[in-house]
Amino acid sequence: MRKVALVGAGVSKFGVRKATYRDLVWEAGKACFDSARAVRPADLEGLVVGTVMPERTAFQSHIASLAAEALGIRPSALSARTEHMCASGTVGIRYAYAFIAAGLADLVMVLGVEKLNQPGGDEAILNMGTGVDREWEAAFGLTAPPCFALAAQRHMAEYGTTEAQLALVGVKNHTHAAKNPNAHFGKGATLDQVLCSRMISTPLRLYMCSPITDGAAAVILASEERARALTDRPVWIRGTGQALDGFQLTSLDEDYARWPALGRAGEAAYRMAGLTPRDVDLAEVHDCFAIAELIACEELGFCEKGEAGPFVEAGRSDYGGDLVVNPRGGLIGCGHPLGATGVAQAAEVFVQLRGEAGPRQVGDAAVGLTHNNSGMGEHVVMIYGREPA
Amino acid sequence: VNGPGSYFRATDPFPLESADHNKLHEFYRRLAAGRLATTRCAACGATAWPPRGFCGACASDRFEWVDLPGDGVVHAFTVQETGLPAGFDGPRVFAIVKVGGHRIFTILRDADPAVVRIGQRVRLAPMRVADEPKGAPRWLPAFRPA
Repeated sequence: MRKVALVGAGVSKFGVRKATYRDLVWEAGKACFDSARAVRPADLEGLVVGTVMPERTAFQSHIASLAAEALGIRPSALSARTEHMCASGTVGIRYAYAFIAAGLADLVMVLGVEKLNQPGGDEAILNMGTGVDREWEAAFGLTAPPCFALAAQRHMAEYGTTEAQLALVGVKNHTHAAKNPNAHFGKGATLDQVLCSRMISTPLRLYMCSPITDGAAAVILASEERARALTDRPVWIRGTGQALDGFQLTSLDEDYARWPALGRAGEAAYRMAGLTPRDVDLAEVHDCFAIAELIACEELGFCEKGEAGPFVEAGRSDYGGDLVVNPRGGLIGCGHPLGATGVAQAAEVFVQLRGEAGPRQVGDAAVGLTHNNSGMGEHVVMIYGREPA
Repeated sequence: VNGPGSYFRATDPFPLESADHNKLHEFYRRLAAGRLATTRCAACGATAWPPRGFCGACASDRFEWVDLPGDGVVHAFTVQETGLPAGFDGPRVFAIVKVGGHRIFTILRDADPAVVRIGQRVRLAPMRVADEPKGAPRWLPAFRPA
């Protein structure tokens, strides 16, 4: 297989945006081309668009071609849309990676985009029920919060994790987001604010949850030869893994605080990269809810199983600790525009490994990991490096 | 009429359950009669929850219907207070109930959220929801405290 690298990345402003679906595509595309001055739209051979629900929110299918036209891209090797619920963006990156590694393309953009507040947040909450099983789950009114609440309940009962430790994930990620001009939230949060915010689904409170957010992000992937010609600081894809435990809640491990598929996806990525958890300088993990970040730190090997509560409490997942988890502010601080999230995670690793992350720079970052999930049962992991191997 | 209401009315959050629409119709027919049924694979004997039309273990598509017990115990639960989709009221007790060795996702009706606990005994309480567009009644497999 050929080596593949990121050579450009850009993110739109995330938030409740006064913008159409296409406006968001333009914003992320502009930011991405601005970061890769040697690449112009006509140079790209392909575009993959990760997006979940434009059929509902923009009343629009055929979305990859819409985005290609909006950005002046004329695909000659790869044009596709990936819908894989919350992990759609990273699944798109894997497709582009595989095409380039196999020699079927040399230069491909992956763009993630979602316009969720359309016409308003209530519509978005209704639409989120499409991500769980309509016949056996969503018909009862299930969306994501109660699923992850079950994991939090179990983690607290099994390992003694406290409400304050869950809240500290919210504090950390809101604090990080305050240094990210593209984040949905920019004011930070105190422990009291998180613990006093309204209850969503026991024990998860509002500031422990990601919000309903509009946004887009884009990255450009290149073969080794093209990457070296286009930039002196490519960010290399070192490893990737994906694994599924199940779709319905009742198909998952009976212990909802254990996510074996995440462990397997992580192991596959570490093995391919020839790296271990201790080599990771920063990780963008899928903190759709605070409990998800805690369980991700355990399953990805940053701490022992059951120890993630004390791990975050001791500051080991923050600046000055073992590694920095969610330096851009995570889904809790940046928001979670579904298809855009995985691509925005990759864009953060891109600027961090190039030393371009400004006030949120992780010192001398050489290895970055991203983790994107679709529910608790399916996980995708990518590992990136400053060096190719 | 335009506005957000027209969006909500355009969605049907419930499955189509009648024989015109759904090969698992027998499940819903029995549910309407107060019985909790599922499928057993006629080839390998595996009993599934929820019922299936294809056996993921042996690839058979031959099934027989079997009734499960109507009572079980709470295996896990959470109370959603806010952020529910339009048309679904809170607080809502979402639960996973163990019935005859199977885990069943459901809601607990008529349960005081403050006193629900793991291990609590619960009983099938089929819940009637909005009729199908052509008028057939629809039911969901809800439970309530025993």
